[in-house]
Amino acid sequence: MGIVYSITGTLLDQGGNILELSQTVMRDYFTIILAVEFDSPHDPKELAATIIERGKRFNLRVVVMEASEKQGPAPASIVDGDRFIITVLGDDAPGNIHTISGCLAAHGVNIVDLHARVVANQFSLVMEAYLPSELSPAMIRGELARLCRDSKFEAFVQHENIFLATTEPSPVRVGSALRNQGAAGVPH
Amino acid sequence: MYRTEDVLSTLSMIRQHKLDVRTVTMGIDLHPCSSPDLSILCSRIRERLVHYAGRLRGVCRDVEARYGIPIVNRRIAVSPIASIAAGHTAEGYLAVAKTLDSVAAEVEVDLVGGYTALVQKGWTDGDRRLIATLPEVLSTTSRVCASVNVGTTAAGINMDAILALGRVLKETAARTKDHDGFGCAKLVIFANAPTDNPFMAGAFHGSGEPDCVINIGVSGPGVVKAAVEDMVAHSPSRPTLGEIAEEIKSTAFRVTRVGELIGREVADRLGVSFGIVDLSLAPTPQVGDSVGEILQAMGVRRIGAPGSTAALALLNDAVKKGGSFASSSVGGLSGAFVAVSEDSALANAVEVGDLTLAKLEAMTAVCSVGLDMIAVPGDTDAETLAALIADEIAIGVINHKTTAVRVIPVPEKKAGERAVFGGLFGEMAILPIHAAGGSADFVLQGGRIPAPLSSLKN
Repeated sequence: MGIVYSITGTLLDQGGNILELSQTVMRDYFTIILAVEFDSPHDPKELAATIIERGKRFNLRVVVMEASEKQGPAPASIVDGDRFIITVLGDDAPGNIHTISGCLAAHGVNIVDLHARVVANQFSLVMEAYLPSELSPAMIRGELARLCRDSKFEAFVQHENIFLATTEPSPVRVGSALRNQGAAGVPH
Repeated sequence: MYRTEDVLSTLSMIRQHKLDVRTVTMGIDLHPCSSPDLSILCSRIRERLVHYAGRLRGVCRDVEARYGIPIVNRRIAVSPIASIAAGHTAEGYLAVAKTLDSVAAEVEVDLVGGYTALVQKGWTDGDRRLIATLPEVLSTTSRVCASVNVGTTAAGINMDAILALGRVLKETAARTKDHDGFGCAKLVIFANAPTDNPFMAGAFHGSGEPDCVINIGVSGPGVVKAAVEDMVAHSPSRPTLGEIAEEIKSTAFRVTRVGELIGREVADRLGVSFGIVDLSLAPTPQVGDSVGEILQAMGVRRIGAPGSTAALALLNDAVKKGGSFASSSVGGLSGAFVAVSEDSALANAVEVGDLTLAKLEAMTAVCSVGLDMIAVPGDTDAETLAALIADEIAIGVINHKTTAVRVIPVPEKKAGERAVFGGLFGEMAILPIHAAGGSADFVLQGGRIPAPLSSLKN
């Protein structure tokens, strides 16, 4: 406990302002990605060393990269189309994610978030993805079904609104979900 | 990022527990079609139905693909034909029914409801003609569904109409005896009929509705059953009935939300109004899609045993509460149906003698609809059928709720024999009617049972 406190404290002391943060813990391994803005230039190596030193009890590995001015929210073309949830369930086997992501990439599907896990040899993969407007969910569903026949898994493609409707008490809406698509549409 | 558990939970509702949109029902006002010229009337009806419903199939298919939720049926509900065809002869009414049937086939909807008369306080010539034509309409059309509202809490009960309907049932059953009297399954006799019910056979487009509206019927007995079973199986200690009610409520919330989303999307794409979503646990003969199995999951192992009514009351109430929290557009019937032949667990309970007609009648006092899809002996006289209807209607009128009767006197079959209606209508052992014939004089008195004291609220 205390990793976030340690890192954000270091950044604050260095004059940093956090613009975006994503953190997760997978199999007891803590990972955090931050976008930070500074008033004055900082050397990336020195900044990484400072963070490691202050958090040395956590044995941190830190990479600091300078972002160019151009790296703002994703351009509109990347988040064109509607956001769908693609779920793949089946037997675990090496290459599942590679096979599926290859199929999606070939059809211009932009994966913006992904979570996969294996429990008792059962593989589950949940992706948030933008389907280009010219690609119907039925088409990509058909493509995935063809893959599934060979690979013993099932794939489901559903507009995200169905999950918003069933998990959030906010009013039901149709069309694209009311979210900041630019910020959320980070290309992978 | 959505929680994986939430995604998988919603997915399992659809994949494993048969969550679907049972019906997208388009309500269409036919009043602008009225004409004293029969051919103009029928031509206008055809044009108006095609105008509004011509794209319904394609839009439903697209929405189904977008969300991965099956839309099982597409239907049309029209304004009560008794008033639309008023002034025409019986042949005119039949021509309108044939028009509805053929247009329903043309726009590829499976059923069209609204061959309807509202006669709770009295009946017009048009109402009488419509009721008189019911046996022929129900036996010669394939998609037309009929309903008659014979009572309301405000108006009382029209016993003359009920007696006429007892005779209609006999004649309709006789005309469709090769199919165990199936024609009667397309006729619903109501008290306090809702004007926006999307479920057949009782759907019609009531007064106060817009020109065209999309109403949605969502079901999901399998989803609710799975939720209750899961809770019972995984709770560290036996869950209380209050906890079970909460579980049903939250499941009903999710199911209702699916319905509203689909309804709004379909309406939006068609450029018409969205009306209501009706979450009614409507069973199908498939195992796992049964209201009776929910009661069993709650601990009523033998449906019909004492406790069945209380369990059904809990279920119905929790469904309504979940639905009302999910949406401000909840309407129709919204509760649990005990459609016996369509529900494998209820049909089995009848078969083994646990579930009787008297117990069913008691159960209908606390749930949606009423005596639904019940096969009775073919030799039941019209007066007894009318008395059976009157009992159920009285429950609705006195309790300020909708009740309905869909009863089938199966020609040439006796109690205990099997009535087979097929498909989603299922099958069941024919229920005996105790003391049949014992109330004929009561029914033959005719007239109107006055509105109850509780109706005087102004």
